[in-house]
Amino acid sequence: MEQAAQTLIGGILQGSVFAIVALGFTLVFRVTGAINLSQGAFCILGAFVMFSLEQTFHWPVAVAAAGAALATAAAGFLIGAGTFVPALSRLPASSMFILTAGLLTFLEGLCLVVWGSEPYALPPFSGEAPVAVLGMRLPTQGLWIVGATVAIVAGIWWLLMRTALGEALRACAENPAAARLMGIDVERMTLFSFTLAAFIAAISGIAVAPILSFQFDTGRFFTISGFSAVAIGGLGSFVGAVAGGELLGAAEQLAAGYISSLFANGIALALLIATLLVRPSGLFVARRTRREDVRDEHRIYHPVVRLRGARGLLFATVTLLVVTGLPWVVSEGIMSSLVITGILFLAVLGLDVLMGYAGQVSLGQAGFMAVGGYTAAILATNYGWSPLLGTAAGLVLSLGCAAALSLVTMRLRGHYLALATLAFGLLVDSLTVGMTEVTGGPSGLVGIPAFTIGAFAFDTPRKMYYLVAVLLALAIGLLLGGIRSSFGRALQAVRTDQTAAAALGIDVPRYKMAVFAISAALASLAGSLYAFFFHFLSPEMVGTQRSLEMIAMLVVGGEGTLIGPVFGVALLTLIPTMFQPLAIYKTLAEGVLLVVTVRYLPGGIFGTLASRLAR
Amino acid sequence: MSVPALQATALSKSFGGVRAAVDVSFAVPPGTLTAIIGPNGAGKTTLFNLVTNLFPVDAGEVRCFGTPLAGRTAAEVAKLGLIRTFQSARIFPGMTVLENVLAGAHLLAGSSTLSQMLWLPAARREERALIARGEALLEIAGLAAYRDAAANELPIGAQKLLEVIRGLMARPRLMLLDEPAAGLNDAETAELASLLRAVRANGITLVVVEHNMSLVMGVADQVIVLDLGSIVASGTPAEIQANPRVVAAYVGAEAT
Repeated sequence: MEQAAQTLIGGILQGSVFAIVALGFTLVFRVTGAINLSQGAFCILGAFVMFSLEQTFHWPVAVAAAGAALATAAAGFLIGAGTFVPALSRLPASSMFILTAGLLTFLEGLCLVVWGSEPYALPPFSGEAPVAVLGMRLPTQGLWIVGATVAIVAGIWWLLMRTALGEALRACAENPAAARLMGIDVERMTLFSFTLAAFIAAISGIAVAPILSFQFDTGRFFTISGFSAVAIGGLGSFVGAVAGGELLGAAEQLAAGYISSLFANGIALALLIATLLVRPSGLFVARRTRREDVRDEHRIYHPVVRLRGARGLLFATVTLLVVTGLPWVVSEGIMSSLVITGILFLAVLGLDVLMGYAGQVSLGQAGFMAVGGYTAAILATNYGWSPLLGTAAGLVLSLGCAAALSLVTMRLRGHYLALATLAFGLLVDSLTVGMTEVTGGPSGLVGIPAFTIGAFAFDTPRKMYYLVAVLLALAIGLLLGGIRSSFGRALQAVRTDQTAAAALGIDVPRYKMAVFAISAALASLAGSLYAFFFHFLSPEMVGTQRSLEMIAMLVVGGEGTLIGPVFGVALLTLIPTMFQPLAIYKTLAEGVLLVVTVRYLPGGIFGTLASRLAR
Repeated sequence: MSVPALQATALSKSFGGVRAAVDVSFAVPPGTLTAIIGPNGAGKTTLFNLVTNLFPVDAGEVRCFGTPLAGRTAAEVAKLGLIRTFQSARIFPGMTVLENVLAGAHLLAGSSTLSQMLWLPAARREERALIARGEALLEIAGLAAYRDAAANELPIGAQKLLEVIRGLMARPRLMLLDEPAAGLNDAETAELASLLRAVRANGITLVVVEHNMSLVMGVADQVIVLDLGSIVASGTPAEIQANPRVVAAYVGAEAT
């Protein structure tokens, strides 16, 4: 009984962070209509700064905490002013989503460069000795966490309901255009809400850091949990955000305590999916939601780029010659990198059809690589299946997962697919790490054979290179044929205006499902090839980090171009291999490239080049 | 008597306390052009949204060529041959003018996605035929010069015309146009009028919500006047112009 109570208290403490992250989401969403995925990263940034101020510079706890919260708020202010706020009026919602994914990557990369990849821990604010409350021993840090949460919730409530500033914020949330006409500076209010969200995220991160170990990429777990809390509680509802966060925290801790810590992530996904199925608008429906019938006329939709006629033929010929000849002029090391580039391109190609053409965001593309990779590798290594059959089995399983995810999200508009794919990716992460006996756990699966077709083994980089090149040519050929016909037009129609698309007889859910299946299949195939090429597969090779990296590759290379992603993949694969000492800057560079591209080069590298050429 | 192209029976719809449609019944004979007029807020666009199942009705029934529409999705309504346009032209931004028009032919695609992906000759042939028809329609609408321009860069009047052309591409049996003349100048409105006559001559039934009275009175076979969600009057253009209630509800309201 006492253990149950202790577990529940642990859940409430963890849920407090989720609740504050969710509150930050809600704050920004209410004012801007955008989901800020970088929210969780500000928690960890706050904790890291706290660590440096307290442990390295030996500031007193209270001063260090205040300094860390203010420094994080300042970072939030600069990032908001430099990227989020100016982009808001120019980019469609799905691009804003990618922009904030870029900000998440950027903040993680920044923490990696400054604090390294090892886990950190903070000492409790007031010693290790627990206090007795109502006959139960509580860690003193728990009181700090609860105190900080109550203070934040009360502070936000007071600000919104009792001050003129709060009234202006609420006006922006309800009707930005009318607020502007009333003389409210909507941009300033947006920046204020973004900064405030970073500030409260930092406070909760600092308060909770002593009871967990954190590292550069812990923020994304706060993001996904906060995001899940928002979806469970009801998007746009402040009460829902707090309730959803606490509910999620309690459920995760109970699952971890009584079943297995493996299922802590799983329970978040299960709760989320149950909510989406039973009560898609969440437990607490926001009293006022943002008007969704207002269309954003002024936003940029980058046109889908293509090279026509003679130029296209010339481009194809040159590409064919270069791709065929390349293995005979480069070194063995570069050869391997080229194979990796090709395999990742296959997965990013799927992402391009999904995001670039159909406008559906997936943050879990690497999850399908993991499903395809592990299924094929385990069957081929431990059960003696042929690699070809193993790959096919991986495909079937991936398509099954994709179908299940789309059935849940199909009826819902907005960011739910992105949310579900992120949760899916994190679930796969925890399964590949946790099911040690099957997957080899964190140290990976070893002794995977080479890919074979019949008696022919693709056992050198060069053989693998040609296999991947042929598969890519096939995939691009098929997709190009589809894209140039009614299939591609239907996808683009779905991307820009689902109501108008449906009015022309386009079965919107069916196309979303089809394109998600194509995308998952390509990722699964890439994952299998990846395992057979390396003869090794570990969770971080196909983890959420990889999903975010592939989004960066896609956007930097050029969305909606089919060919373009190869530039992004090559840039982010070959350069780190050639300049090994710079490897630690990779995540940071990805984040910066992603943000800059979304903001200034909507067509990416290839889109920009091609539209110059086509002129 | 033949089955009406569109038949609404006792349609009602309230949004909170606002009664946007009150016991609305009418029938549109096939091959005719019906105009729906009324002051702002009379419920004209709501009526379109109810008829195309964009909003569920509170009560009543809509039939398209005898088939009840209740419970069908927007895409399924389109499959019955009912194509609509929107008050604010909803063209697809980021696609070219021609691609927008071709998107209208979505339901006509006979070749499967697989045959398109495999570049099968039949699929390519079908695509070429579609392009030829799209170009012909652009020519008729006077938009041929913009063929490869980004559709969202067209002036609003041209976007409205493009939306009509896109709908025609679907070979509809019944077309609902929501203020097609909004944003057009006088010359363009005259062109629109002849386009509408040509469409009707091709056997396509039209229902048009319109403010431009000279357009309505010039082309309509039947006029329905809505005010505060109810039908105030209906009849031929001549009858409507002579109806004192219409003058009070509509023309009178305009004059103030």
